[in-house]
Amino acid sequence: MIGNFRSRLSQNIKRSLTFLLLLGSLLGVEKTTLHLWHPMPAPSRAVLNDLVAEYESLHPEISVHLLYKENEEVRMAYMSATGFTEGGPDLLYGPSDFTGALVEMNIVKPLENFFSEEELSAFDPKGLTWYEGHLYQIGDELGNHLALVYNKRLFAEVGLDRPPESLQELIEFGKKLTIDKDGDGVVDQYGLVWNFTEPFFFMPFYASYGGWVMDEDQNPTLNNDAAVNAFKFVRDMRDVHGIIPIECDYDIADSKFNTGAAGMLINGAWSWAKYMESPHVDFGLAVLPINDETGLFPAPMIATKGYYMNPYLSGEREKQVVELMKFLTGADAQFQYASRLATIPTRLEVRERPQIAENPVIMTSIEQVSRGRAMPISPQMRAIWDAMRPAYQNVLGGSMTPEEGAAYQQEVAVQKVAELFEGQDIDKDAVNISAIVVYLAGLLLAIWALYKLFVAFILPLVRGIAGVLVQESRFGVLMVAPAALFIFGVVVYPFFYNLVISFSNMGLTTVNDWQIIGLSQYGKVLTDSQFYHFFLRTVIWTVVNVVLHVIFGVMLALLLNRPLPGKGIIRVLLILPWAVPSYITALTWRGMFNIDYGAVNIILNKFFGIEPISWLIDPTNAFIATIITNVWLGIPFMMIIALGGLQSIPQELYEAASIDGATAWQQFKKITLPLLKPVMIPAITLGIVWTFNNINVVWLVSNGGQPGDQTHILVSFVYRAAFNLYRYGYAAAFSFMIFLMLALFSVKFMQKNKATETAY
Amino acid sequence: MKKTSKLQYFMIYTALFMAVAWSIYPILRVITISIRPGDNLLTESLSIIPEDWTFDNYIKLFTDHPFGTWIWNSILVTATVMLTGVTLASTAGYALSRFRFPGREASLFSLLVTQMFPATMLLLPLFIMLSSLHLINTYLGLIVIYSSTALPFCVWSMKGYYDTIPYSLEEAARIDGASRFMAFYKIILPLASPALVITALFSFMSAWTEYIVAAQVLWYEEMFTLPIGLKSFQANMTTEWGLYAAGAMIVSIPAIALFLFLTKYLIGGLTLGSVKG
Repeated sequence: MIGNFRSRLSQNIKRSLTFLLLLGSLLGVEKTTLHLWHPMPAPSRAVLNDLVAEYESLHPEISVHLLYKENEEVRMAYMSATGFTEGGPDLLYGPSDFTGALVEMNIVKPLENFFSEEELSAFDPKGLTWYEGHLYQIGDELGNHLALVYNKRLFAEVGLDRPPESLQELIEFGKKLTIDKDGDGVVDQYGLVWNFTEPFFFMPFYASYGGWVMDEDQNPTLNNDAAVNAFKFVRDMRDVHGIIPIECDYDIADSKFNTGAAGMLINGAWSWAKYMESPHVDFGLAVLPINDETGLFPAPMIATKGYYMNPYLSGEREKQVVELMKFLTGADAQFQYASRLATIPTRLEVRERPQIAENPVIMTSIEQVSRGRAMPISPQMRAIWDAMRPAYQNVLGGSMTPEEGAAYQQEVAVQKVAELFEGQDIDKDAVNISAIVVYLAGLLLAIWALYKLFVAFILPLVRGIAGVLVQESRFGVLMVAPAALFIFGVVVYPFFYNLVISFSNMGLTTVNDWQIIGLSQYGKVLTDSQFYHFFLRTVIWTVVNVVLHVIFGVMLALLLNRPLPGKGIIRVLLILPWAVPSYITALTWRGMFNIDYGAVNIILNKFFGIEPISWLIDPTNAFIATIITNVWLGIPFMMIIALGGLQSIPQELYEAASIDGATAWQQFKKITLPLLKPVMIPAITLGIVWTFNNINVVWLVSNGGQPGDQTHILVSFVYRAAFNLYRYGYAAAFSFMIFLMLALFSVKFMQKNKATETAY
Repeated sequence: MKKTSKLQYFMIYTALFMAVAWSIYPILRVITISIRPGDNLLTESLSIIPEDWTFDNYIKLFTDHPFGTWIWNSILVTATVMLTGVTLASTAGYALSRFRFPGREASLFSLLVTQMFPATMLLLPLFIMLSSLHLINTYLGLIVIYSSTALPFCVWSMKGYYDTIPYSLEEAARIDGASRFMAFYKIILPLASPALVITALFSFMSAWTEYIVAAQVLWYEEMFTLPIGLKSFQANMTTEWGLYAAGAMIVSIPAIALFLFLTKYLIGGLTLGSVKG
């Protein structure tokens, strides 16, 4: 049996080696492989695959390798690979709002020299992204603009035969389309749905009241009447007119419209193809209707989608990449996208071809784009989104008035823009005393750590091998060494990397020329009141979670630790939350917390008569929702540990106790608990550490800290507020504070529980 | 052995039934999504099997995507991680439980320390490190990282379990002439089977569902492990929920099978009753 397994294993190793060799030969002499990373959703991906296949058959010496990653992930991955290792793909496809950050980080190549003026004049100027005098992106599509999608069938049912032509009409139509079909007091069909809590989806209305996110100098302009009125408008649609659901994120809106449970939807160009195919939707598309109060049209943001080039290319390869880029943005390629997906080509000639010009969807889409405004491509935009989100969501949640919200988003935006460029404040030529001190301190610390490492691991190892120590210890050291080398080999570099970065000013504009600035990042962390606020929250999060994990885990283990018919199947059913990937179950839990249709509220209402709870809108409830989800996820692990631990307790102890007349509770307290402890303590200690740093569940259930960035724990907060804005130095210092707190806590905790002592 | 009365049985089953319902309901929702036509995340009824159910999503996984290859890749990576985890943790845990050598306390604590740094911050330096070691696009890079994430807990957990096994057992074996290693291998290791099961399960799970590191390391679709393959159905605003849910269920099946198989041995350790602690 074992031999059989072995030979199979070696066969498998051989197979994977052959595969690697094959891969090697593909990379080798015969063909050049060009890499292209893109965030295209499935329908566009299909077109891209066809185009690349065509290109490869035209150029047998080239092989194009495509890699899909989600929008944010492709940006981050490109930044790591190109910004930090000078590697990465040859081409990056993405929306134009990547531009500012890529340029600031020096990881994108100017393209104006590769294209003749004649070639460039074939493009709509909006399809070419210039930044600070250079051309960085060649677009193949104008996209991402929002428009009004409506379901003609539902319109006809209430006697409407055209889309609304003003916002007033939008509300009127919306009221007609909002229907409680079965009269149970719950609306079954809404007039309008859209992802209205996200600022991007709010922008058209802000613009229709005359507002815009920034002025010519990229300064935020968010505190004005336009913002106040637009806030009120959206809030009234929900609270006064009741035509939109109380809770509606992207997926809820999408799902409702797609299943015929909503008359109108505001959504972007990327999504329309799906609705055209839905059996529940008779697809209609219209421009966002005019605002009768101001006479302005809502202006959605338009992003050019297109190709960026890796700056480290040169020679023959560079030529090949440019040629590929010209093919992918060429007229035929654009025609393919436009005819199959109704996208707006950037080449004017393609737009005039009859199949495109006469397509009603593209016609409406072009009209909508003509009323839209280009998405700002400077990195400030990122800071502005992060500032608008909490203010806007607080207004919708009722914890701020529209006026307070407008003032707050401006204040936060100004602060975040400053943070984005904080690294530049450092005077580079001045002799920096604190830097020298920190360098020395860091050096000493490193020497000290290396010495400790040497004393703790390497010295005993050497001694052990040399036989200086007694036989006994040598055996021990030899048995620990492989695991220790494995773990520390992986951890040491990242640890010291972060330590160094935490003393530096590394940020968006200083990725390539960061320098040590001393302890100021730590100072910033410690003087930020939010740090303490989220610290307290993280402690609550950790304690509640771990306590409930352990209590339920041990209880279930005790119930299962006896002869019980059907035990095997029950055990596996109870372990399932651990076995199913948490990135899908956490999202399912989010769905179950929906106010109207979530299973949690339906069950609470049916069985206990409890009124619907707004789980995801109220900050406290949202936090409780994340805890419930994480408790669900964590119980099986503790149960398994406890089950394993219970096996080590000899039955005879219980028998002896019974004879002595001990009650069940006494037995549990005097026998079970103390003997379970050595097995549970490591799991609990690590459980605390993991829960403290568990970003995934918080992020998925609260959709990145919503509402209003109030549902964070420390790790998700640092990710949102620092890492996301490229504040690498600050984020590293913040993470080190987290690390130090955990280390300090663990020392105390372990001393108290004598976790390193043996039981016997 | 204590006698369990009928009433007690009733109460135990009631409690377990409630726990099972709580534990599987959200997973049933995932199944519901996976057998619904179209790709709607939301279901607006409590029923588990929708009227118009279909296995289309499951079929699509294997016909339109190299899902079979991804499964194979994942098995290769995970099995190696599991093997590494069990081997290294069972030996290291034993030494840390039984011997007092210089650096023992430090090793124990530093194992814990490695888990304390927020993982999101380690990604970038890990990528830089793997890149300079030319381990990008290799399974080796992935296996090393996964093993080192799983090991600290595994070592601790093994050590904790060994602590509950009396020394007298090895002493008896040593007196009978067994070497140190043989005493460990023949006597102690079989007794620690519940802890070995936990170690195996834990190493398996930390590799089986991981995608963040994998997405950084692997650039070729044909090299993907299951979770990154699965992630490619999730896009910013256009997630294919049906496929995503179906894929998640398929990812779970081998995990569940392994749990089923291994939990038998969770109870398999010899009882210690024969030797008075």
